[in-house]
Amino acid sequence: MSDNKKKILEMLAKNKISADDAYRLLSAVDGGEGRRESTGRAETAAKSKAKYLRVTVLPNPESDRSGSCDRVNIRVPMSLIRAGIKLTSLIPSEARDKVNLALHEKGIDFDVRNMKPEDIEELIGALSDLEVDVVSKNGESVRVFVE
Amino acid sequence: MKRPPMLMHLRIERERRGFGLWLPLFLLLPLALVVFIILSPLILVATIVLWPSGWGKRALLTLRASVDIFCSMRGLGIDVHSGRQSVSMTVV
Repeated sequence: MSDNKKKILEMLAKNKISADDAYRLLSAVDGGEGRRESTGRAETAAKSKAKYLRVTVLPNPESDRSGSCDRVNIRVPMSLIRAGIKLTSLIPSEARDKVNLALHEKGIDFDVRNMKPEDIEELIGALSDLEVDVVSKNGESVRVFVE
Repeated sequence: MKRPPMLMHLRIERERRGFGLWLPLFLLLPLALVVFIILSPLILVATIVLWPSGWGKRALLTLRASVDIFCSMRGLGIDVHSGRQSVSMTVV
């Protein structure tokens, strides 16, 4: 039971509000919580709908009039990323120690041995919010995003 | 079980000339199955021999992961233009 509901019931018990007022207030509290839950569900659904990781490198539109500039467009399915991350469980223990050591040297205190399937799902979910947009001095742009 | 990719489209262009290639990956699947059936006794023996050292289980998991990665390739697209050359690859 939420704090708001408890307060309403306490006010009713102390006869500070009538039963009708308490009913109206409880309905209002329920409606608000329901809306928040449905918004949360919609966000989760949108995250799970993310299907591709896109990487694009686009040239400066002004210098690309001839159409001869470099361009890269990569689309990686999220399922492929998921399958790739699962490969970490196949890393031999000797190599894992080396990976952990290399990560530690870079200032990342992360043990790849502790990676669980739930962590992978969380990581993929967090990728849905990823958006990198870099524009260089000469107008080239690099974008990494999830769609 | 994910559906494996059926086709791979490759396109290579150079100086406005180029060619496209549709590779029927679905034709490789029966071939891969036949190779797997032929090699399965060898795989079984190798797995049993290597099981005590822990590599047998790892080999089986690697095999499964390879199939999983292959099946996850649907939708992969790479498109690179450099100067007047371009290479594109799409897995359908």
